Amino acid sequence: MTTQKRIQHLYWRAGFGPRPEDVDADMSPRKALRKLLRESEKFEPLDSPLMRYTEIKPPFVAGSAPAPVMDSRVTGMTTTPDQMATSANTSATVAGLAPRALLAGSTPGRPMLLRRSQLTPQQRKMENEGIRDAFYQMNLGWMERMANSLAQLREKMTFFWHGHFACRVRQPVTALQLNNTIRQLALGNFGDLLLAVSKEPAMLQFLNNQQNRKQHPNENFAREVMELFTIGRGNYTEHDVKEAARAFTGWSSDEQHQFIFREKQHDTGSKTFIGRTGNFSGEDILTILLEQPKTAEFITTKLYRFFVNDTPSPAHIQPLAQAFYKSHYDISALLEQMFSADWFYEAANVGNRIKSPIELLAGIKRTLGVQMEDPKPLIGYEKALGQTLFEPPNVAGWPGGRNWIDSSSLLLRLQLPQVLFKNAQFNVALKEDENDILPSVAKADRTFRQQVKTHLELKPIAAFLAKIPEDQQAAKLSEFLLQAPIRPENLVLVQQTAAKAPVEARLKTMITSLLALPEYQLM
Amino acid sequence: MTNRRDFLKTSVLASSLLFVPKFLHALDRQGVARLGNSNGRRLVVIQLGGGNDGLNTIVPYRNDLYYKARPTLALREQSGLLTLNDDLALNPAMTKLKALYDEGRMGVLNSVGYPNPDRSHFRSMDIWQSGSAADQVVTTGWLGRYLDSNCAECQVPYTGVEVDDTLSLAMKGGQRKGLALKNPEKFHQITQNHFIAQVSGEQAPSNASSELDYLYKTLAETSSSAEYLYQTSKVYKSSVTYPNTEFGRNLKTTAELINSGIETRVFYVSLSGFDTHVRQHEQQGKLLGDLAEGLGAFTEDLQKSGQFDSTLVMTFSEFGRRVQQNASNGTDHGTANNMMLLGGALRKPGILNAAPDLANLDQGDLRYQLDFRSVYATVLRDWLGANDTAILGSEFERLSGIV
Repeated sequence: MTTQKRIQHLYWRAGFGPRPEDVDADMSPRKALRKLLRESEKFEPLDSPLMRYTEIKPPFVAGSAPAPVMDSRVTGMTTTPDQMATSANTSATVAGLAPRALLAGSTPGRPMLLRRSQLTPQQRKMENEGIRDAFYQMNLGWMERMANSLAQLREKMTFFWHGHFACRVRQPVTALQLNNTIRQLALGNFGDLLLAVSKEPAMLQFLNNQQNRKQHPNENFAREVMELFTIGRGNYTEHDVKEAARAFTGWSSDEQHQFIFREKQHDTGSKTFIGRTGNFSGEDILTILLEQPKTAEFITTKLYRFFVNDTPSPAHIQPLAQAFYKSHYDISALLEQMFSADWFYEAANVGNRIKSPIELLAGIKRTLGVQMEDPKPLIGYEKALGQTLFEPPNVAGWPGGRNWIDSSSLLLRLQLPQVLFKNAQFNVALKEDENDILPSVAKADRTFRQQVKTHLELKPIAAFLAKIPEDQQAAKLSEFLLQAPIRPENLVLVQQTAAKAPVEARLKTMITSLLALPEYQLM
Repeated sequence: MTNRRDFLKTSVLASSLLFVPKFLHALDRQGVARLGNSNGRRLVVIQLGGGNDGLNTIVPYRNDLYYKARPTLALREQSGLLTLNDDLALNPAMTKLKALYDEGRMGVLNSVGYPNPDRSHFRSMDIWQSGSAADQVVTTGWLGRYLDSNCAECQVPYTGVEVDDTLSLAMKGGQRKGLALKNPEKFHQITQNHFIAQVSGEQAPSNASSELDYLYKTLAETSSSAEYLYQTSKVYKSSVTYPNTEFGRNLKTTAELINSGIETRVFYVSLSGFDTHVRQHEQQGKLLGDLAEGLGAFTEDLQKSGQFDSTLVMTFSEFGRRVQQNASNGTDHGTANNMMLLGGALRKPGILNAAPDLANLDQGDLRYQLDFRSVYATVLRDWLGANDTAILGSEFERLSGIV
């Protein structure tokens, strides 16, 4: 393994891919790792006014019929936008945020979602669009960060926890708040992160803890905390779930999306949880879960599968998990240990992970300095390839690995470079199902037909290849762009394709061809 | 020149051998040979996305409670309801399905659902597509697991085809995944893209031990399937008139694939837009019209070619709507719902279980009387000859003598 490959490996796994200057800097992998850690120390929240949607409050009309009261289970239901309008008027909708805030009766800065049945159809439509636009802004803002933030490791870990603490809610404000809580604690102490996430209104709502009351416990939150967030299946009983649910009664949020403990709804009785008995609070349950070495093992295994290899190696994981437990769950220390291990750079662990759609897209953006005149089509690609930020399929997050690839998604991936750089059409109609935001959108509005205008930053690549003789440039470029070894016949194919292109388009053609190879799907 | 029917008969079996490049033959034959023992039967699943209001689809037109709960939204006999029996009638827009019902080609299952129903579109759809319980997350689809179980050695993904641009969870198994395509020609065109064709024409690995091998293997299978589907589908061009809607076109594609003799066991087609919170009459009526007209043409197409007896169509939606109408002449998310079965060889057509019980609601929602996984189990075992218990992960009581 060359030093360049090792550096690239580190940048692909601990970040969203290397830029030409990253591998040209003559650094050792150890030094690059220290740089990544240092540059990720600072936390900057993801935020912008466009991400903060202010909901509509219908004007009160005296004498109007009382609005029907919906079942609380229905209002507690959560759905995020699943629709991607692509017609030319989409940007007009984004710009339309300001007039909406001027609507009679709307109170900017006071986030409160109304029961949808209280809205007029027109208000409902505007609210849906406002919510959708806010999620688009959050999505694209985060993609931009993945591509350009110095804090690569922090963003990568935020992305990891985004799948681990998978959550899908209707209110953009709570989704953004959870995302920033995760970002802030992503590299800190896992116990702090777990507690903070468990108290996030988005999560409490998503996992129905609003309905978890002394008289009628709802076990959903307690179950997922154990099954998915901490110790994993097989390490607790159904009785533990019931008792933990009692401990989490009263955990709720207020209208300002702040955590609130509703004492009257809390069950103060004695509980027996994983062999211990006491008047446990929700915090106690989380503490007891952290005291189980199985939790350290579960989290370490998941991190290993994300960062190293989909097939866990107990020989690698055991020492990491033990150190993680001993360090009282210091996430940075665990990552540093993982990225410094010799086995991390072994051939078996390099170029063997199928990039998730987000990693694929952010990686192209980052490694090639891609700028898009209008980035919205990125959301369409995310959806078509099966991974949209803020929209995990369910509480277990994205399954990943070979799951990303089926016949149609693979073909879409291989066409993507042509779409991005050669003005080819991306002629895919997204599914309309799962849509609670903009019902009945016409097919035209679900189809991404418009050609994207991208700017590919070729200067750094050209500089990277400057001293390489022309007949070796394709090989050199493939070493930079591909983590899996290129098939010899593919190298010939790339060279032939480039040779046919006019001189000034050769570099771009080479890049487009290399990105269209199955090898590029791996990192 | 012989007529089309004769040509069809003689060429269906030969077609793949005639057109498919030599190196692909081995793949195709292997794939076909290992298909499960479904006796040539196939399943067509129709997904009604958005939560179709079952009560205004199969209407309890003699039930006062229905009219009380829906003062302006309920459908009355004089609006043209299509009577099925003393309790239930079809939405007036569904004349084509009424005809099939009268011919004994249609079955109706009422109050289908699952315990602790989830009223969110995406979660409930997840549950229906994966075939899981409400408190369980399963990352494969029930039809994908059918492909796994009945076609583990298949080398081709076209054993399950979704007529769409992207593949649904329902069609993704652990090992095998279906194939999504809008139409065979367009799909084929993509694989003919110069660069993709070159790469997919390279030596495919015989197994997928590494991730790179897996990608190349998938690519080779995709390319082979695209070629096979494209060439084979040329055999039969439908002469039946379908409604000029996306759904209609997708059903036409499905019928052309079936009538061309494609060895696909499972087809999946979606019709969306049923999220009728507002002004439901208009929107749902149009959609149910599309559904009925589309399925009417589809049935006619399959009957002409003699394929309807070996086809079972099953419709579902992720949930039904609340019994009570809302203030906007629409309905909000509810729970149990009806499913429809269509086929030339239904063993028991008609209304297959009791009409929804509007007197015994769960906080305003229908209580489910039949677990949807019982329906899946019935279809898997009794229609496709598959091991339902293994595919669904546990045993669900089957409905005897229906399919």
